[in-house]
Amino acid sequence: MRSTVPGRPRPLADLLASNRLGRLNRVALGMIALTLILLPAADLSITVRDPWAELQRMTGGLLTPAFSQLSAPLEAIGLTVAFALWGVALGLLAGIPLTLLFHRSRLIRGLCAALRAVHELFWALLFLQVFGTSAITALAAIAVPFAGIFAKVFAEILNQLDPAPASALPRGTGRLSRFLYVEWPQARAQLLAYIRYRFECAMRSSLLLGFVGLPTLGFHLESAFRQGRYHEAGAELLIFYLLIAGLPWWGHRRLLWLLLPLSGWLLGPWPEIDPSLAWRFVSQDIWPPPLLAGDPAGLVQWWSRLPALGPAIGNTLLLALMGTAGTLLVALALWPLVCRHFNGPVRRWLGAGALIVLRSTPEFLFAFVLLLLTGPSMLPAWIALALHNGALIAFLVARQADELSPGLPGIRGLDLYCWELLPRIFPGLLALVCYRAEVIMRETAILGILGVATLGFQIDAAFAWLHFDTALLLLIITCLLNLAVDALSRRLRPERSLTAASCDSPGPPA
Amino acid sequence: MALVTLQETTLAHGRGRHRHVVLDSISLALQPGERVALLGRSGAGKSTLLEALRGELGNAAAWCPQGQGLVGALSVYHNVYMGRLERTSTWRNLRNLLRPEHHAWEAVAELCTLLGIGELLRRPVEQLSGGQRSRVAIARALYQARPHFLGDEPIASVDPHQGARLLRLITERHGMCLIALHQRELALTHFDRVIGIEQGRIALDEPTSDLTLEQLDALYRPWTPASPG
Repeated sequence: MRSTVPGRPRPLADLLASNRLGRLNRVALGMIALTLILLPAADLSITVRDPWAELQRMTGGLLTPAFSQLSAPLEAIGLTVAFALWGVALGLLAGIPLTLLFHRSRLIRGLCAALRAVHELFWALLFLQVFGTSAITALAAIAVPFAGIFAKVFAEILNQLDPAPASALPRGTGRLSRFLYVEWPQARAQLLAYIRYRFECAMRSSLLLGFVGLPTLGFHLESAFRQGRYHEAGAELLIFYLLIAGLPWWGHRRLLWLLLPLSGWLLGPWPEIDPSLAWRFVSQDIWPPPLLAGDPAGLVQWWSRLPALGPAIGNTLLLALMGTAGTLLVALALWPLVCRHFNGPVRRWLGAGALIVLRSTPEFLFAFVLLLLTGPSMLPAWIALALHNGALIAFLVARQADELSPGLPGIRGLDLYCWELLPRIFPGLLALVCYRAEVIMRETAILGILGVATLGFQIDAAFAWLHFDTALLLLIITCLLNLAVDALSRRLRPERSLTAASCDSPGPPA
Repeated sequence: MALVTLQETTLAHGRGRHRHVVLDSISLALQPGERVALLGRSGAGKSTLLEALRGELGNAAAWCPQGQGLVGALSVYHNVYMGRLERTSTWRNLRNLLRPEHHAWEAVAELCTLLGIGELLRRPVEQLSGGQRSRVAIARALYQARPHFLGDEPIASVDPHQGARLLRLITERHGMCLIALHQRELALTHFDRVIGIEQGRIALDEPTSDLTLEQLDALYRPWTPASPG
């Protein structure tokens, strides 16, 4: 432990040396140092010839959206909403029973973790092989991972309720009865708030499903961007932002009874599934042929023909690390933009507007757009991950800082940042970054679909070549990596009574 | 034949390093039909003893926990209904949550009228006063309709007059009653026997006919706890 020299104050040095923050700083600095050491191994090249001219064209197009050029906007909007709405509804239908069993069975907890660890887009790629580009694929792709997420977060919320009413129940009360009478009434507001937040996430997932061929807004958005029709893309993006911003109004609980049946009507026509083909997919196609034949020598050969796993795994982990470190730095830099201590109302509103746009844009879409400017390297993926997640955390941290009142009178600017506010909000900020590491890891893998050399690239390729056995193996590896990162971030993050629910959601609208 | 017996039983919270002994090697037997008052300072271990006996008696005893353990967002009716939640199917419970069942409503209404909260059946519990909540918790315990009764300070937040009436209602309807309370006068007038807990042991276990108010006061005298070690 170093002692501080009296006389000249050195806020940052003190912050680093102080006992309470020591471990946190080691985590944060270690992460940034590791990123810097490994950075030369990352492919950050720009392969597009004239990115600035393209950027100019793109910005011009996005700023002058042309609604008249949209081909079928209403249908795309309707489907985007319908997939999100029904995906969440089905996710709840499966997630609530899992919630009730969550603390009883290790098996259920493991299952939920595995469902969560695979991204919606990967689930979509898997279901596409059986159900084609139909509503079943879209709904299952959202509902399956959401069931795992709901189960975990709901179980955490229920765990923190006052235990007295539950223990007052007569012995032998059924689990579902206990939920209905004791847990639901007590946790209702929290659970509904989380479902509302998850619906917003489902809207983003639904948009992304367009990138694998489902006819949501994302489908039109992708083709518009790819073909350089930036005015049309601008219009579609604007529609999406308006949909997200207007959620509290059009997605109001009272309107759901109308929205659910209406949007359900859009989901058809339902595909005809050939049960024998579906069974063949599950029982044969996704397994290595030598394994089914019981041929160990063949299995070795099968393994040697797999795409190179090392670089894909390495790149996935590296990008996740870079994304997490970038998120930390972006959050540290951006939170003052929306904090009342640094801005008047006008500047705060402008800052909030910018952060909300960053936050509402899914990393995948963000990376896709940047990738058009730079070519497929890790650079656009890194920027997208850092900006999206950094903006999200900056927002939450600024709310926390708003509640503080500085103790020293007249302290302003950098002094206020370093001395008064940062030391108090830093543990919370780092906890959020650690929680977010799991999400960043999930996203990192799917960015491969765009051409970044992560695991998702190999998974997408394996599906394209109909090598379902390879695809499944890669999906399992992705899932295990995600679980490992989750376990690691759980160990590193500060031990505070922050639940996943409280930091996973952007909180009540400001 | 005793209804329930504890023979040199040690009751503790937690495990390993965090183990904290509350009641050390206590013995007691409760007879059917006995009305027993449980006295002792707050934190003496009354709740621990009652919890242990609840474990022994299971659903043979109605249970009225300390601090009531009510669900604030639900109506008085639904909180009382919860006393029998394990006896009806989940499906019926769900239906009853959406639309109260006629028979159950009648039974709960009758009970609540008896307890002076008949007008409040539809009111969410979070809108009630402390005394009203106590009566809801008692109603829930009575609605269980068990042979015996275990209560952890069920009448802590009602006035002595009301308390006497509620105790009569409870003891009339149950065989053995073991009730923790602080009102020493009521302990002498409404019970057959008093068990007093002090410093982790049973300091007093006598029929009320042999007891005086001064003897009960002694249970509440200040004492300095031995330093933990």
